[in-house]
Amino acid sequence: MGSHKILLVEDNPDDVELTMHAFRTSRMANEIIVARDGEDALAYLFHTEQYAERATTEDDLPALVLLDIKLPGISGLDVLRRLRENDRTRRIPVVILTTSDDQTDIVSGYDLGVNSYIRKPVDFSAFTGVVDQLGLYWLVMNTPSPI
Amino acid sequence: MFQSAERDLVSDAQGGGAAVAKTVPTTARPSLLTLLRGGGIGYRLLALILLFSSAVTLISTVLQLYFDYRRDVSAIESRLDEIERSYLDSLAGSLWNVDAEQLRIQLDGILKLPDMQAVEVRETTVVDHPLLVTAGQRQSSSVLTRTIPLLYRERGESAQIGVLYAEATLTGVYRRLLDTTMVILISQGIKTFLVSLFILYIVFRLVTRHLMDFAEHVGGFDLRSPSPAIVLHRQAPAHADELDQVVGAFNAMSAGLRQAYDELSTVNAELEADIAARRLAECEVMRLNASLEQRVHQRTAELEAANQELGAFTYSVSHDLRAPLRRIEGFGQILVAEYADRFDERGSHYLDRIRAGARDMGDMIDSFLTLSRSTRGELTIEHVDLSAMAQDIVARLHEKEPDRTISIDIQPALGVDGDRRLLRAALDNLFDNAWKYSRGNETTVIAFGAHDEAGHTVYFIRDNGAGFDMKYADRLCTPFTRLHRAEEFEGSGIGLATVQRILARHGGRIWAAAADPGQGATFHFTCWEGKPVNGQS
Repeated sequence: MGSHKILLVEDNPDDVELTMHAFRTSRMANEIIVARDGEDALAYLFHTEQYAERATTEDDLPALVLLDIKLPGISGLDVLRRLRENDRTRRIPVVILTTSDDQTDIVSGYDLGVNSYIRKPVDFSAFTGVVDQLGLYWLVMNTPSPI
Repeated sequence: MFQSAERDLVSDAQGGGAAVAKTVPTTARPSLLTLLRGGGIGYRLLALILLFSSAVTLISTVLQLYFDYRRDVSAIESRLDEIERSYLDSLAGSLWNVDAEQLRIQLDGILKLPDMQAVEVRETTVVDHPLLVTAGQRQSSSVLTRTIPLLYRERGESAQIGVLYAEATLTGVYRRLLDTTMVILISQGIKTFLVSLFILYIVFRLVTRHLMDFAEHVGGFDLRSPSPAIVLHRQAPAHADELDQVVGAFNAMSAGLRQAYDELSTVNAELEADIAARRLAECEVMRLNASLEQRVHQRTAELEAANQELGAFTYSVSHDLRAPLRRIEGFGQILVAEYADRFDERGSHYLDRIRAGARDMGDMIDSFLTLSRSTRGELTIEHVDLSAMAQDIVARLHEKEPDRTISIDIQPALGVDGDRRLLRAALDNLFDNAWKYSRGNETTVIAFGAHDEAGHTVYFIRDNGAGFDMKYADRLCTPFTRLHRAEEFEGSGIGLATVQRILARHGGRIWAAAADPGQGATFHFTCWEGKPVNGQS
């Protein structure tokens, strides 16, 4: 692997901006790729459509996927399922980062093999703290699968 | 039964077969001939009368013959006596004189008497060749004999000189007896036969034909079609006899049967009408049931739709309503952090208020979601240790504000069967309140315990906090209702409403008591006191 990219799957531009701001605030230098919906995220991960060219140049997978659940079109949980079904992408750490604490979402997420479920707090400073810890934990402390 | 008997009877009488029998109307009047068929009363009557009459005749005949015989025999005996009386002396004289001729004449005279068979005189004084005079032929049987000594009297002395043997035959007696027997038997036989026939006829007239009529009537008796009462085809006797009694009894019985049958028919008809009505009612009930079921289905579907809608709504609230708040708060925070120098004090204050409003609304949405979730979903009932749960909650609360001085009294081993998640939410809310409203006190005193009241366990949570005004007690559990100002105590006004719904789903309730504002509050609650309230309805 060796990649340090973070794939952020989030449809709302404001939320993208806030998350990016939180990453900046926590001084994370990782490259953040933003997918604006589920199809976009899958296209990036499986090198299809606009990312078809990427297969030849860059073969690396993201070190972490931050996944929103409520997305236009394919939902976050569907993206997660597709990721876990594919041999190449099944070991990528995926963290659901969403505003909802809906019980069925949480249970479905874990059933589908999510690594962590984090509910975005309304308080932005708390959110910044969460993002900080996320980066620290998954990109520094956590040892990813070698293959 | 009778009809077939009648048919047999006619067949016997005519010696014919079934073909003949078929043509005979079953209502044919009984004839006298029918009386004589085997096994009939007439037959048996005739046989018995003949038997009895013959026996009587026989006995009387034998008696009569016996007496006749005695009379005839005694007549013969007296004749012999007379012979002895009349002829003995002259015979003895003739023998003394040895006058055989005279003796023969005398014996022939005796022989002419009725029934005399043989007479013989023999001399006994002479051993060799005694004088023997005989008249008639001796017989070996059916005779009456007498041997009389012949005495010769001379000057007062008498000596036997011979023997008179007289033999009378009984043949005449027997012949007369036979004649008498024949006359008696024939006359008695004819008389018996005639009397029997007469009795037979009388019995037939008086009894048998009526019995047969009666049998025919009974055989054709049908409860369903009213048959007339039996009438005997005869001139009514002056006094009611046994037949009248039988007929009367039968008529009474058939009338009674008829009445009972009518009553039964009426009852049956009523029952049938009843059953029909019941069937109709059943159909109606089934129809109503079906319609009710359909309505239930419809309502259930509507309810499910509403529930689904509510679920979707809750889901949407959870995702979509909080997101804009996060943005407001997030960008506000960025403004505060990075553009603080461009705001004056008032601008910073407004910015703070905007962010605080967003946070409050976030809290409210969270409370709202808790309330909504507490009334939805299936209960997973298990045994829950409320004491341990309370200990855990208090520990967490104390972790957040470790500087507070607290005195907690939790009664050990309080348990209840319920949904762990929901009970935790309820206790969370109750302890949150106790913790929150006792914040102003130097020492926070919270007690959690239970006592028995009318067979139910009543749990309580008591604090020494701000309490509330009892006149608002009924509003405590109304969602979004607060009894304190926001500056005093934060909160959404949903907590107790949530607790109430959770307890209602556990068949319990909650009520509060407060002494005076500032004197603390006690919340009591129960579980499984009544029927649980389904949160989905």
